[in-house]
Amino acid sequence: MGPISLDYAGAGVSVREDLAETHRELVEYLGRPGCWFTGSERIAIAAESRNALQCPLCVERKQALSPDHVAGAHARLSELPEAVVELAHRVRGDSQRLSRAWFARTLESGLEDGAYVEAVGIVTFVAGVDAFCRALGIPRFPLPTPEPGEPSRRRPEKLTSGIAWVPLLLPEDASGPEADVYGGAAMVPNIARALSLVPDHVRMLRRETATHYVALDDLQNPSVGRDLDRSQIELVAARVSALNECFY
Amino acid sequence: MSGKVGGTEIDLSAVNGEGTDDGGVEHGAALVAFVEAVMGDDDDDLAAARVTLRRALSPAAFVDACAVVGAFNVVDRIADATGIPLDEAMATMSAEVRADLDLARFASSANTPGASG
Repeated sequence: MGPISLDYAGAGVSVREDLAETHRELVEYLGRPGCWFTGSERIAIAAESRNALQCPLCVERKQALSPDHVAGAHARLSELPEAVVELAHRVRGDSQRLSRAWFARTLESGLEDGAYVEAVGIVTFVAGVDAFCRALGIPRFPLPTPEPGEPSRRRPEKLTSGIAWVPLLLPEDASGPEADVYGGAAMVPNIARALSLVPDHVRMLRRETATHYVALDDLQNPSVGRDLDRSQIELVAARVSALNECFY
Repeated sequence: MSGKVGGTEIDLSAVNGEGTDDGGVEHGAALVAFVEAVMGDDDDDLAAARVTLRRALSPAAFVDACAVVGAFNVVDRIADATGIPLDEAMATMSAEVRADLDLARFASSANTPGASG
């Protein structure tokens, strides 16, 4: 398979190379076998992430006082297990109302926590790049052809439970194959640890955050910005998060 | 209500969509309007907001704004879907700002002990 080519021509502006490179890496990454899903399954999850936006059940649930009050079946594109489709649609379309109880039910349905985290990462990465494309005024990037191969089934060794819904790999426990996962950053906030059941997701998120927002090591330095200054960056970030009703 | 970013005093009401001017941030009003249009469903609104923002910002700064919108549509969902609590140091530093913005009204505040209203 040749390198993926992404089309920014409709934007009418140049997209800096580090952003474009991150997008290429991300799109390729989606199609590779992961820890718990094959490349085909990962692409199906990505497609379900997009499908959530026009799923009638999701639309009805979004308008309801509680999503749990609306029963029904998702409009699905894939043969993924129901729990994975539900995850893809809920995380993409109504993440602000996710609850620990919903998370527990999702795992009780048979989805392992590693697979849960892998699916969350895929859904959210697609949501982010789709939001970028919408903001820029270009079509969404096409999903790649999945690569062959089996999932690694690798789980980091020293995980800590009880901090979040999912176990986390703490920076002091990142060693061996995971030694690089936090990039030696002096401060590693929980958002950087959240996907650590799937170490490659952490690496991808670090890359994505560094090129789209601010690198981990620069988070505490308010003078770090880009052509958009830091106060402008933080205003955009805060308004997005308020609209997403995200407390974190 | 106000807060400081890098020594700059900014009007936090814009975060909750309540501000009417730039709020101490250069082109703040245009940035907020753009974010709201991207996050909304009206493509005509978005096209208009994009034109306004493109006129205000350099091309590179406009792309930066789009990138931040993308980034926070990732991290917000990750935070909500994994139930991570707010980091202790951040919780302490931002307590007043969070209270001013009434962030405890968000369901995900339940993931940070003591944060829910």
